[in-house]
Amino acid sequence: MSSNPAISINHVSKLFHKQNQRTFKELIPALFGGKKVVESFWALKDIDLEIKKGETIGIIGPNGSGKSTLLKLIAGVSQPTKGEIKTNGRIAPLIELGAGFHPELTGRENVFLNGIILGMTRAEVSEKFKKIVDFAEIWDFIDQPVKHYSSGMYLRLAFAVAIHTEPEILLIDEILAVGDAAFQAKCFKKMDEFKQKKVTIIYVSHAIESVKSFCDKVLYIDHSQMMGFGESEEVINKYIEGMGVIK
Amino acid sequence: MKIFKEYRELLAELTKREIKARYKQSVLGYAWVILNPFFQMLVMAFVFSKILRVTNLSVPYALFLYVGLLPWNLFAASISSSMNSLVGNGSLLTKIYFPREVFVVSAILAKIVDFLLASIVLVVFFVFFHQQVTINIFWVVPIFLIQQLFTYGLSLMLAAFNLFYRDIQYLFGLILLTWMYLTPVIYPTEMFPEQYRWIFKLNPMAVFINAYRQVMLGGGMPNLSSLGIALLLSIVMVVSGYHIFKRLEGMFADVV
Repeated sequence: MSSNPAISINHVSKLFHKQNQRTFKELIPALFGGKKVVESFWALKDIDLEIKKGETIGIIGPNGSGKSTLLKLIAGVSQPTKGEIKTNGRIAPLIELGAGFHPELTGRENVFLNGIILGMTRAEVSEKFKKIVDFAEIWDFIDQPVKHYSSGMYLRLAFAVAIHTEPEILLIDEILAVGDAAFQAKCFKKMDEFKQKKVTIIYVSHAIESVKSFCDKVLYIDHSQMMGFGESEEVINKYIEGMGVIK
Repeated sequence: MKIFKEYRELLAELTKREIKARYKQSVLGYAWVILNPFFQMLVMAFVFSKILRVTNLSVPYALFLYVGLLPWNLFAASISSSMNSLVGNGSLLTKIYFPREVFVVSAILAKIVDFLLASIVLVVFFVFFHQQVTINIFWVVPIFLIQQLFTYGLSLMLAAFNLFYRDIQYLFGLILLTWMYLTPVIYPTEMFPEQYRWIFKLNPMAVFINAYRQVMLGGGMPNLSSLGIALLLSIVMVVSGYHIFKRLEGMFADVV
């Protein structure tokens, strides 16, 4: 296999400037009053790891530990304050599914819109359109505005579009926790297919069991720091211990 | 400029979304794009030709007004819409990366489509009033392009700032209103007090609107020195707007 890593994260830190004043009305008195205008905190500190092509990595950690920030950095929507991130291959973020959907547009229109947002060409979407709608099982409603969809249908369609972009890197953030059991099963089946196809998968979840069974390696983050990275079993045990101490 | 090639389909799709989604739940649908400025013009034409009389025009006031009102509306609508384009697409900003100016460009493109449709009424007016045109009417194209350059530069700046402080959009609502009165949209330049007329020289929108009138209604050439200054200003605007936008771009997903 190629030695080229899919994602290399090189001593990455992310500083957030939290500004409490969002309007001039708040900002101007604060400036004159000598109040602290910007509060900073490190959302990630010195994360350093390499993810090889075809690996499935679970990211675990308590709420607010920096997991989603790391995903954003990998997706390229946010820039690291220190260090650098290199990614290799088309990324499909399965984060906040349907973010690009417009409620007034029909399912069909949204499939094209979202497919192109995710980096497909119009021709590619046309070609895969049948497969996408088949996967979402939504043929009866495809020409209805998506605002009339149930949340399950909405999710299925968004998921279907995202996985048909032929990603090389798949970012998954908790989404599999939503949707009914049948849909979840279907998603995991699809994930397994991706795994077989050597797609690199980053899977953020609180569901320890599914991380354990699904991922090759696990990254454990707490308080913005890397607490462990390696074999699933080992890191997960460390995580459970860590949580136990807090309780 | 690269984005027009590389992200052509994305631009087209986002522009289409903008256009399609807007009038989805209305009976007349997209006809509003034509009806709105038309009725706006009717009301204004009544007020300014029957009540507060604008006189000494060589063309009917309705025609005079519409030639200025359409490009002004395009400018104002483009600015307002692109100012909100980043805020409105916040969920996409935090999810997937592509050059963020795509949002601004597609917001402006959607307004240009509106403008072209609304211009149909203007063509009808020209026929109705038997307005003669000369070859100089083709100047409309470069004037329009310079106007878009200016609009794009300003939009980039405002869209980025508005993401950090939403005050920008409210403040700019006021500025746009003032700006319109300081631009010869509803009145001819000649009615403006002579000692203040230098304002028009610094106001690219005034230059554009005077130029449109000159080439469409007057049949002459535009004032090339004014247009040259406006072009220069527009280029400065685009370069600095783009620069600011790109510098702030990395922070968009963190502040939205």
